[in-house]
Amino acid sequence: MSLPGLSLPGLGLQLSATPVLGGSAAPPAEQSPRREDLPPRSEWRFETSSSSSSSYHARVLSGHAELFGVELAVNQLYDLSGTKGAIFTWQGCQLEFMGDAESEYAAEETEYAVEWLSLHGMLETFRDEPANDGPRVLVVGSDSTGKSSLIRSVIARAVSSGRTPTVVNLDPRQGLLAPPSSLTAVTLGSQMEVENGFGISPISGPTVTPMKTPLVYHYPYHSPTDKPDVYKAIVTRLALSTTSRLEEDLKAKQSGIILDTPGVLGVTDGKGNINEILHHLVSEFSINVIVSMGPERLTNALSKRYSVAKGADEAIPVLRVAKPGGLAERNEPYLKQSRARYTRSYFFGSAKESLSPHSHSIAFDNLVIYRANTTSTGSGTTSYGADADDDYDPSSDNTTMSGTSTATFDKVAPSVAMMGSLIAIKFCPTNSDEDAIRDSAVMGFVYVADVDEARKKVRFLAPHPQSWGNRALMQASSVEEVYFASSLGRPAWQYRRQYDTGGDCDVESLLAGWIVPVDE
Amino acid sequence: MSARSPRSSLSGSSDVALDFAESLKDLQQNNKWEISNLTTIARESTEHAQAISKALEDHINTAAPSKKLVALYVLDSIVKNVGTPYTVYLGSNLSSTFFNAYRLVDPQTRRAMESLFRTWKEPIPGALDRQPVFTHKQTSTIENALNQIKAMDVKRQPPMQAQYGQRQVATPPQFNGQFAMPQMPPQHQQPAQYYAQQPTPQQSWPPAYPPPTPQHVPVAQPPPYVDVNSLNADIASLISRIQARLAVNHGDQGLYTQLQALQQLQQLMNTGAVTGQALQDVRNKVSGLAAAVSPSVAPTPQPHALAPQWPPAQPTPQPFQMPLPVPQPYQPPQQVSLPFMQSQSTAAQQAPPALFPPGALNGLQALLASGNKPSTLQMRVAAPILQNASHNQLSNVQNNIAAAPPNNPTDLLAALSKSGVLSSLVPPRATPSTQPPVVSAPPPQSTASLLQSLSSIFPPSQKGTPTLPPAQTAGHGRPRIPMTTAELKVFRPELVRALYDDQPNQCSTCGRRFLATEEGRAKKQRHLDWHFRTNQRMADPAISRGQHRQWFVDEFEWITLPEFDPSTASATDTVNGAAAQKKRQKGPQDQFIRAPAGVTRFTCSICQEEMKSSYSDELQDWVFMNATYYNGKPAHATCVEEMKRPFGGAGGSGVGALAAALSGAVGQRQRSSTPESALGKRKAESILAGHGSKVRNG
Repeated sequence: MSLPGLSLPGLGLQLSATPVLGGSAAPPAEQSPRREDLPPRSEWRFETSSSSSSSYHARVLSGHAELFGVELAVNQLYDLSGTKGAIFTWQGCQLEFMGDAESEYAAEETEYAVEWLSLHGMLETFRDEPANDGPRVLVVGSDSTGKSSLIRSVIARAVSSGRTPTVVNLDPRQGLLAPPSSLTAVTLGSQMEVENGFGISPISGPTVTPMKTPLVYHYPYHSPTDKPDVYKAIVTRLALSTTSRLEEDLKAKQSGIILDTPGVLGVTDGKGNINEILHHLVSEFSINVIVSMGPERLTNALSKRYSVAKGADEAIPVLRVAKPGGLAERNEPYLKQSRARYTRSYFFGSAKESLSPHSHSIAFDNLVIYRANTTSTGSGTTSYGADADDDYDPSSDNTTMSGTSTATFDKVAPSVAMMGSLIAIKFCPTNSDEDAIRDSAVMGFVYVADVDEARKKVRFLAPHPQSWGNRALMQASSVEEVYFASSLGRPAWQYRRQYDTGGDCDVESLLAGWIVPVDE
Repeated sequence: MSARSPRSSLSGSSDVALDFAESLKDLQQNNKWEISNLTTIARESTEHAQAISKALEDHINTAAPSKKLVALYVLDSIVKNVGTPYTVYLGSNLSSTFFNAYRLVDPQTRRAMESLFRTWKEPIPGALDRQPVFTHKQTSTIENALNQIKAMDVKRQPPMQAQYGQRQVATPPQFNGQFAMPQMPPQHQQPAQYYAQQPTPQQSWPPAYPPPTPQHVPVAQPPPYVDVNSLNADIASLISRIQARLAVNHGDQGLYTQLQALQQLQQLMNTGAVTGQALQDVRNKVSGLAAAVSPSVAPTPQPHALAPQWPPAQPTPQPFQMPLPVPQPYQPPQQVSLPFMQSQSTAAQQAPPALFPPGALNGLQALLASGNKPSTLQMRVAAPILQNASHNQLSNVQNNIAAAPPNNPTDLLAALSKSGVLSSLVPPRATPSTQPPVVSAPPPQSTASLLQSLSSIFPPSQKGTPTLPPAQTAGHGRPRIPMTTAELKVFRPELVRALYDDQPNQCSTCGRRFLATEEGRAKKQRHLDWHFRTNQRMADPAISRGQHRQWFVDEFEWITLPEFDPSTASATDTVNGAAAQKKRQKGPQDQFIRAPAGVTRFTCSICQEEMKSSYSDELQDWVFMNATYYNGKPAHATCVEEMKRPFGGAGGSGVGALAAALSGAVGQRQRSSTPESALGKRKAESILAGHGSKVRNG
């Protein structure tokens, strides 16, 4: 694994006159490295397999190169295994690659890069204007249009220009500094990472790049359209926190906010109207720039709503920004894998910063677990009154503690069915009312490792040794179970059996049980 | 003279340094005896090490190229034979000192310097200390730069000869000598550097390599690759943009001449007449122009905005100023820390702030370098700052130059000064310039008089202070880009430049870039320290094992969390940040001291118990919690607090008397000047007495 920091002068690793290579990194594969010369304004597109056996590493030998706006240091080895992307160069560069990629090729159709750079320039112009309170950008587009890549590069360039921009991820299916199912806001004061993008959230130990501190909320459904009212409520809360923070920090305020949205919000209805949730975002965050990466139809709908019909004061510029040329199709298996990676790294860290999760065993009586109710009847209790989405089957397998069928969240008793699922710890106490639980920020996530119904105990895998005390737990609707189980390379039932037979295993063996599949 | 004893004039650092500098000047050749004499002076005057180091650096910077090597040998002898503190003082500017010399000397001397440099990376032969002469940190920048130069030399040597001749003919005059500037705005603090930046035809130094600034060497700056096609495209787009603007402002003569020049350039490019280095220069010029021409230009203190443009074919007497349509909404921060400015303001009260707009003489020099005797009119055009000089002065310049065509800006300045255009000329002491002392100049006077004489000739710029570096983010000179979809498609090289070239100071570990300003360097230094600390801790199995993720923060904490970058934050930033984050009253147990490097335990000077360092996540550094310095010794903050509490009743006097007696036995101890409870202090001192050395070593 590459440890870029090891090449630091201060470490005394004086490797003579040749430039210091990527620390102690051993060439990951037996293959000889391949070299590639890229002319200016071209890029190297790669898609690598995320299977653990293959690896893909890249190194810049000369020139300048960047990945999603983050410059790669010359002569450092970067691990790009399991990712898709494009190393772009403005000035031309020579690259060296090791390992396998599913596909890799050089491309010169990079008009998108110019547009992304210009967007950065426009936002900088906007930030320079003291009369503006910083750009608040909404990025909209359907799935796989490069929204997140654009945001990464725009944020990275803003940080390189000395700004402290705030990024808000509103797509519950991807994790930003937190496992999937979370909605995150983070202000970036330090550089982005080549390999990890936004970097890593605080851990107890040292990190190769400065840690980023996110504020995390939990949206326990797959898509915003599943429960628009819940989604909107959390967005409102998130917007409130974010704007409060920016009021405290004027530099961050001037640097602005960028919102990443799920693709489902970038879909217009038959009459060319935008999704109502989108409008909610625009008003809650006082959006003043809209970037559309979707089809022209979406751009037109947005312009019609925010730009054309309004007066000069109220009109919001709607920019249509090109998709990247080498856009990889992020199909569901890939997304699943990437979510699994996020979840796994939440507990176990990365190769560079490896973490040890902790086991907590808690009696049934001391637990209050809520489960997101996917039935359509739950929406009536909130004030938004949006149409309930009845595309989803009501969950059938859960025994509800009480008859709160009209509530958004049901209190559930721990059951074996919970094993393998990810549960959010909310900051609010267990006896809070439903709205408080819904709006409460997330303190962390735990994984249900074992439910012993006979002894009335639940064993959790938690990131932190400290107990979380009297706080409400929230289980997402069923989607999450798959993530973590597959992240360990085995279906959940195998673990279940392992612990069923293991009986009263101690922490060490539990951890060993967890860690072995990761390393293999 | 060189053997003068330092003892004869020990009245102060300045005297010692002055003596030292004088002795250095006497040093003509590689004389072992003289060098060891100077080394002895340095050894016996370590209390003036800083001043001596400065004098030595200045000498190396200002000595004639032929004398630079021997001056470096003096440096070498001092650092090897005396060591600290000279290694510290000389090490801090080592790369600039080295490269200021390196770039001016002939290839043979360069080789000698390279072999000299190699010994700096090694321990002193035969010495017990196996540390290298200079730390790896200090030498690595030179190392990297040397490697790059070598690589570049190999690549560039052959075409360069040809292309210089070509440039004189092929490139329209407005491209002469002005290319390097837009590329490196952070460097204008010191005009002297500008002269050094010029591609002077006689030097074999590749001009694409950014010359070292006095404090650092821009490493990791390989020459940008110039793509002819993209350059052509840029020129074409520039032409079309100017045409578009001409369509709006028909009467704009400036735009028209720009357009003509660009069209000529385009023809040249199409014939393939521009290659290699000239191509690089053209590219820089085009990007600079593109920055200036983009739809709405903010007037900025950047040189390319101020640098006059003039038509290529028919020189007009008035320098053309760039059109400046949009008023600048922001003010560049006033940078007052320029040594140049300071010396001026103290000595020459009435001197206007602008003396040498960066690159003001570039055009003139380029003109003169062509070898032909230029007309005074041409000279005025080439260097608009000479507008006010009299015809007689200029013709004097002509004659002087015709006699000996100037090779570099210094010679040009000398010629100017000889002609009476500049009444006197001395390389400013404050700026470690690369100019050799000008022998032909009138008797040296003070810097101030030089500045004054310059300012009397060069009209102050209307913009105020063109020597100001651009603002903090290097990008304040950037054009204003309107937010429209059409503008998205326009490629703006200046944006790339702002992200790359304008921040030349790069961390080789993570690729992060820093400005070439003093602040940027300080930030980079802290950043490297941060990497070092982090790596140290990650390499320590006791620390890196068993880590866990933290809980996320709650809303209140997040909202009040100040966003600072721990990797570049200074100690005060961090402490302020942590304090703001806590927002609570600090009790004694919250006090901490940062652990000095390598120190993991202290003994409390009061209770004598061991204190262990721990890692603070907030501060991202090792600290001793519940610790403070008590009389310069570490102690538990709670112990100190307890001691400061007044003693109760009669017992106090007894303890006090005992303490007084004890402290008398201890003898004279340095006392802190902070008023504290006398009793507590004496008690502490008495206890400390036997443990002072232990604590210090601990």
